Amino acid sequence: MLREEPRAADLLATAREVLLNELLPALPPDKAFAARMVASAMAIAARDAAQGAWEAEALARMGGDPRAFAAAIREGRLDPGTPDHARTAALLDDITRARCAVSAPRALGKG
Amino acid sequence: MDEARRARLTGWLRAAAGDPALAVEAMALLSGGAIQQNWALDVSGGRAWVLRTDNAATLAVSHGRAQEFSLLRAAFAAGVTVPEPLFLCEDSAVIGAPFFVMRRVGGTAAAHRVVRSETLGGGREACVRALGRELARIHTITPPRADLGFLGEPPADPCRAFVAEQRAALDRQRTPRPVLEWGLRHLERTAPPPMPPVLVHNDFRTGNIMLDERGVTAVLDWEFSVWSDPHADLGWLCAKCWRFGSDAQEAGGIGPRAALYEGYGTVEDARVRWWELGAHVRWASIAVDQAERHISGAERDLELALTGHMVPGLEWEILRMVEARDAA
Repeated sequence: MLREEPRAADLLATAREVLLNELLPALPPDKAFAARMVASAMAIAARDAAQGAWEAEALARMGGDPRAFAAAIREGRLDPGTPDHARTAALLDDITRARCAVSAPRALGKG
Repeated sequence: MDEARRARLTGWLRAAAGDPALAVEAMALLSGGAIQQNWALDVSGGRAWVLRTDNAATLAVSHGRAQEFSLLRAAFAAGVTVPEPLFLCEDSAVIGAPFFVMRRVGGTAAAHRVVRSETLGGGREACVRALGRELARIHTITPPRADLGFLGEPPADPCRAFVAEQRAALDRQRTPRPVLEWGLRHLERTAPPPMPPVLVHNDFRTGNIMLDERGVTAVLDWEFSVWSDPHADLGWLCAKCWRFGSDAQEAGGIGPRAALYEGYGTVEDARVRWWELGAHVRWASIAVDQAERHISGAERDLELALTGHMVPGLEWEILRMVEARDAA
């Protein structure tokens, strides 16, 4: 690798520790909410930076066009009982699991 | 608020209250919502009031101050526990935006505190029973009402109207949302039959209800009210996304669902469950819009930015609810 380490995920995680352990206790109480929001943003950004690529494969599985895919769902063409229903449900699960891994790991019972 | 505005406000309040000696003794910005500003006014004669006005950036879907004042008056007359509405000023020249004044009531609405407390609202069961009674009173307000004409024509089929409105909201967004479409398609496939619409508060949840140790002191935030299925309010309150981590207490993270239903009266549980899925879709869509205000540059703000990251968790819940409902 040509880029210098530590990389984004490490820096964000390390900086977040400083924020929560050293800065937050020293802040006036009315700034605690803002500090916790900053910590939360850093955690999301760190998970985002660390996540592997998944979007290209997911896009391919939905036929390359998210808008057409969303329209097909709306029109009932992927309802229960249609040939592609199970495949679609699995695809939506996979996409949402990957999105939650960054934004809301707790929703998956993690973090 | 600067001196000139305060002076104009005092003059206006003197005329409105018919009290030429009225003085504003103190004025402080209360921690308000993202959409409104609330000011605590201490007025001569021991009067404690709240002035409510608009923030700079306002969501297109919320009612203005004049409409909210009418809703508050209708609710007050129906016996709902709301702060008594006093005066409405539609003239932006007084303080820079329309405002209204209502009586100030005590209590706390802070959601994380409320769901942790065993005693607020008179204890968990008593509190949700009282919330059920409040909703029942709200739902006695039915169309047609000349004073609430701004709510528009009541929908013939509230559930299908909800699906159509949510789809229209998705069509206005920048990116397609396949999981929200999945939820809406399920709602369309399983929509309960039409029922006569009533006044639905439409944001009746923990965080918007003021409580003290004895009970409910105020139902706040009427700006999203609509004519709809009364079960919409019960579903919004019970939706898992509005339990603030207190998931075992199904009524708003505060108390048991059964006590809420008892307080309310007659409830069709299946309709409430339908609206709970709807609540997740609607909240996810609102969260997308809030994040968009940050992303577009209209209002750069960390809280709005983080709200966008609530969407994937709501989507996961929508997928699980649809899966369970389709399997049932």
